[in-house]
Amino acid sequence: MAGGLPRRIIKETQRLMAEPVPGIKAVPDEGNARYFHVIVEGPAESPFEGGTFKLELFLPEEYPMSAPKVRFMTKIYHPNIDKLGRICLDILKDKWSPALQIRTVLLSIQALLSAPNPDDPLENDVAEQWKVNEAQAIATAKQWTKMYATRG
Amino acid sequence: MGACICKQKSGNRRLNITSTVPPSMENSFAEGRIRVPNSRESILILETLKQIRLLVDNEQEPPRSILMLHKIADKESGWLSVMMALISSVPADDPLGPAVISLLIDECALPTKATIEKLCNRLKLNRLIVNKDPDKHRNICIALGCLAEKMAGPNSIHLLNNHVLNYLIECLNINNYPSVILFALIALEKFAQTSENKANIIKYLESLSNGHGAPIEKLESFVNQNKYMERQVRFCANWSLDNLFPVENRPYSYEKVNTNGINVMLNANDVSEYLKISSDGLEARCDASSFESVRCTFNVNSGCWYYEVTVVTSGVMQIGWATKQSKFLNYEGYGIGDDEYSISYDGCRQLIWYRAVAENHLQPAWRPGDVLGLLLDVDNQRVVFSLNGVQLSPCKKLFSSATSGFFAAASFMSFQQCIFNFGSTPFKYPPPNCHFQNFNDFGVLSIDEKTILPRKIKLAMLKEVDIKEDSCTICFDRKADTILLPCRHTGFCSECGKKLSICPICRGDIEERELLHSPER
Repeated sequence: MAGGLPRRIIKETQRLMAEPVPGIKAVPDEGNARYFHVIVEGPAESPFEGGTFKLELFLPEEYPMSAPKVRFMTKIYHPNIDKLGRICLDILKDKWSPALQIRTVLLSIQALLSAPNPDDPLENDVAEQWKVNEAQAIATAKQWTKMYATRG
Repeated sequence: MGACICKQKSGNRRLNITSTVPPSMENSFAEGRIRVPNSRESILILETLKQIRLLVDNEQEPPRSILMLHKIADKESGWLSVMMALISSVPADDPLGPAVISLLIDECALPTKATIEKLCNRLKLNRLIVNKDPDKHRNICIALGCLAEKMAGPNSIHLLNNHVLNYLIECLNINNYPSVILFALIALEKFAQTSENKANIIKYLESLSNGHGAPIEKLESFVNQNKYMERQVRFCANWSLDNLFPVENRPYSYEKVNTNGINVMLNANDVSEYLKISSDGLEARCDASSFESVRCTFNVNSGCWYYEVTVVTSGVMQIGWATKQSKFLNYEGYGIGDDEYSISYDGCRQLIWYRAVAENHLQPAWRPGDVLGLLLDVDNQRVVFSLNGVQLSPCKKLFSSATSGFFAAASFMSFQQCIFNFGSTPFKYPPPNCHFQNFNDFGVLSIDEKTILPRKIKLAMLKEVDIKEDSCTICFDRKADTILLPCRHTGFCSECGKKLSICPICRGDIEERELLHSPER
């Protein structure tokens, strides 16, 4: 990382602080301004409702020419998120654009929680279950939300 | 290259773990180090320690022992037994021990809150006597630190209950074994990544001070027979007081340090995120699980140059020469010696690195206190490494891609530390029969450039930066003055415009870029 922090990152950080996104909290690490501690609330009317999911977001050296790296730290039962917390989302890969930002990425992840996509799976077992028996899959997702993503 | 074992390409890899010990591993612990492994997990861990030295290619499949440990740790009971085995079987004298604990924990499935609770119960931290069995306590502290880092947030708060906090602080006692003190300190640092924990730790430390100096402050002047161990403790104590656990009336290190006569430092603005640099700019340490890199402040284009590095820890560091083009890919495990613009010496695995390819060398494995000498002769296109004055034969390959702008540079695996001498103090092993110069005689640093601020202060200063509204939406460095054609989208400067091939807004192909006229005022 040559020459300190790029202004683009400073600008995005300032805006995230001044106008936070509803249901999402993103705070830069005290020791590393490229690393964000993120909390996403499970969207209403999804199996993840009531859960708070911890994520980490890291801006690589090439950002914004390459996508942020994002990972779930809280265990989640979701066909597009694997057991290491890695997310299958096109804008984090080939559909990345430098016009996207930290906030748009986090909104997309929140949307992915509302609309799981078992046809483009990362976690095959979960996706299979989602396709074969959706009711059961949703029940499991709710159970995991309670077990892993609820405070207290 | 740092060992990166995160290359699991598909989620459906199936491993067969029916046999307790794979045949190839049966004799792998015949050398009989310290403890006799007593479980399948311990055997796999010892095998991993051996294999990780040979893991020199990040594209290579991780060793089978690692994959099997991951598989075992997928189930709660398996995760617990892997943790317990890590704690009881990683030997204290293996230079890669702490890094392997960190790697394995980092790559295992995430534990649940209930699992963490079970681990704490099994460890019986409330009843442990910390000044016995230092190896075990060292490993407990390493494991706690790694878990805290991995689970930053609510689960980390849950893990740092009173017993754990009490235990870690008790480990800091100045009469304790230095390795236990060191890793307890690092564990507290990792817990403090979660702000609620940090507040609790500070409160606890304050309640202990009673005017006798808090436990961490005492460690800033820690002295022990093991010179290099005590140096690590002092470094980490100093770092955590500057960055995490401030104490009233204690000046920051950057305010106290004397940098007269130091004209070249490690560049605090040219470093990957987690490397810690001392306030005199000559010592660095990594406690993260990534592969952290740094370049120095000075570079050369011609002539013959020399610097020395004193090794404080004996694990994996890649120390050498690099140009500005060398990339620091800390998360991917690439650093100095892992591209065509840099070359490095690795005294742990006994390798020379260039283009991420390793070649064995014949020097013995380095030990704390050893001095690595690094000679760069640009005019004759050769690099000569030496360990305690014993030279290796010259390497020429660096010069096939890089011709100028050479910096001293290094990469660090977890828990590694070393001291640089660019010439501000006399060299221990100046290369004989060779006319060389040192960086320090030629470097110039202003007072500001010499001041290495704690990151917290630096970050606070960044928030004050004022950014104009008509800036380019990609870099925010320059004015948005370019229109993309044919889509006519704007908001970009000409520099960023050149880097784009499709429009960031509509994803349409860019055929032309035109400069906008400044609007009339």
